Amino acid sequence: MRRLLHVDYSLCIGCETCQGVCEFIHHGKPNIRIYYTMSGLPIPINCRHCEKAPCMEVCPSNAIYKDSDGAVIIDPKKCIGCLMCLAVCPFGAPSFDVRVKVVTKCDMCADRRRVGMEPACSEMCPAEAIFFGKPEEIEDEIRMRTAEKIARERISSKSLEGVGRLL
Amino acid sequence: MKGMRFAFLCKEKPEKNGKKIAIIGAGPAGLSAAGYLVCHGYDVHIYDKLPEPGGLMLFGIPEFRIPIYRVRKGYEELKNIFEVTFYPKTKVISSKKEEEGDEFVENFVEFEELVKEYDAVLIATGTWESTIPKIEGVELDGVYPALDYLFKIKSAKLGHVSWEEVPKIDGKSVVVVGAGHTAVDAAMESLLLGAERVYLVYRRTINEAPAGAYEINLLKQRGVRWLELATPVRIIGEYGKVKAIELQKCKLGEPDESGRRRPIPIEGSNFQIDVDMVVFAVGQKATPPFNEDIGIAVDKKGRIVVDSRHMTSREGVFAAGDVVIGPSKVGRAVLDGLVAAESMHMWLSGR
Repeated sequence: MRRLLHVDYSLCIGCETCQGVCEFIHHGKPNIRIYYTMSGLPIPINCRHCEKAPCMEVCPSNAIYKDSDGAVIIDPKKCIGCLMCLAVCPFGAPSFDVRVKVVTKCDMCADRRRVGMEPACSEMCPAEAIFFGKPEEIEDEIRMRTAEKIARERISSKSLEGVGRLL
Repeated sequence: MKGMRFAFLCKEKPEKNGKKIAIIGAGPAGLSAAGYLVCHGYDVHIYDKLPEPGGLMLFGIPEFRIPIYRVRKGYEELKNIFEVTFYPKTKVISSKKEEEGDEFVENFVEFEELVKEYDAVLIATGTWESTIPKIEGVELDGVYPALDYLFKIKSAKLGHVSWEEVPKIDGKSVVVVGAGHTAVDAAMESLLLGAERVYLVYRRTINEAPAGAYEINLLKQRGVRWLELATPVRIIGEYGKVKAIELQKCKLGEPDESGRRRPIPIEGSNFQIDVDMVVFAVGQKATPPFNEDIGIAVDKKGRIVVDSRHMTSREGVFAAGDVVIGPSKVGRAVLDGLVAAESMHMWLSGR
């Protein structure tokens, strides 16, 4: 059953909780990281588990596959560490792990999903900016959040007429 | 609309291991540590001075950043499913001392009592003492530390006090001093509560603002008046209330130890603006649950010193979060709480 791990950048507050829990369960090497842009905006960067994953298509040793939830996963036994996946990834997500000498990346918390839990980043994000689930579930949740934002904006519109989409 | 899963390391509550841990402070560090510990079979009791768990995630950071339900459902799961015992409105202290957020305290618990009662103690009490510059007029009615200002607003939003107890912001002129996240949040909340004019004053420029240029520009778009390269020199009062603030212009000199260029006040450049409220968001200090020597070392900024195991200079007493690292971010506190909890588990299981 296809499931998505979706980061909504407009809801992210840059608190680094996703990175913190990911770093904890991966012993110091997080697969989702916050980067600060020139304008000081924090942006979380992680694997988007593309439907048409360029990394999977380019991998010369066929080390990248999709599991039943649609997670794009690298098999460390097959990976030859050539970094072609990093070269073609639109997000720069694959990362060379100097300890095991292969490329690693987010596997959508495969171990956790196996026992019925969800990816740790989405479970802990205080802003609920990281969504995990079936596409239609996620889309409903996002629209629900948007509805709440619009409602709040309408309520406080006296002082904030015609402003952007932050609230 | 799900809550934060502080006990994200396990699906269900495991068998109890018979050991009991006290955590002081129910903010992100304390709650994440509790999540780790309940997943490893510990009986966890959390003491917190506020009327409900969540720390700054609930009582400081505005709702438009962290939805209230996200934190509430999170601690409710810890309480109802993982059987964490919460002692709200309870301050742990070795002697009484006042800081922000003390309004709700009804019970006091001796720190030493916890050390005696529990197999291990984790201190995660954060940074609840605001820095106020020593200038003329800071005692006037209408001067607030930003944390106190945000705390009052959130306490009313959460239903713990009536809006009568919140400073009247509607139609007022507010000046916020500082350019960090707390300053930005105080300015934004002022706008949302209908302030007529909001000024943000910073002694350096937008390029050095700790909250980042993006956040400052967003405020400017919303009508906040951004006054950079200016520093407050005195607050002018009338009948005991704030009437105006006197600022002095600055220029940037050589970089200081933080790597940012040092602001240098310019003689004779003073100017005044009429305001009703002055909010200082210029830093917070660590607030450990003691203010005398009880054998726990602190550094010169008052932060608790821990070793690589997160243990303080007292055996069996650990510390994590902002009280150790200084004002940081939710994620830093979460990670620190998890690492400290793991280390407590190692220590208690003799590894």
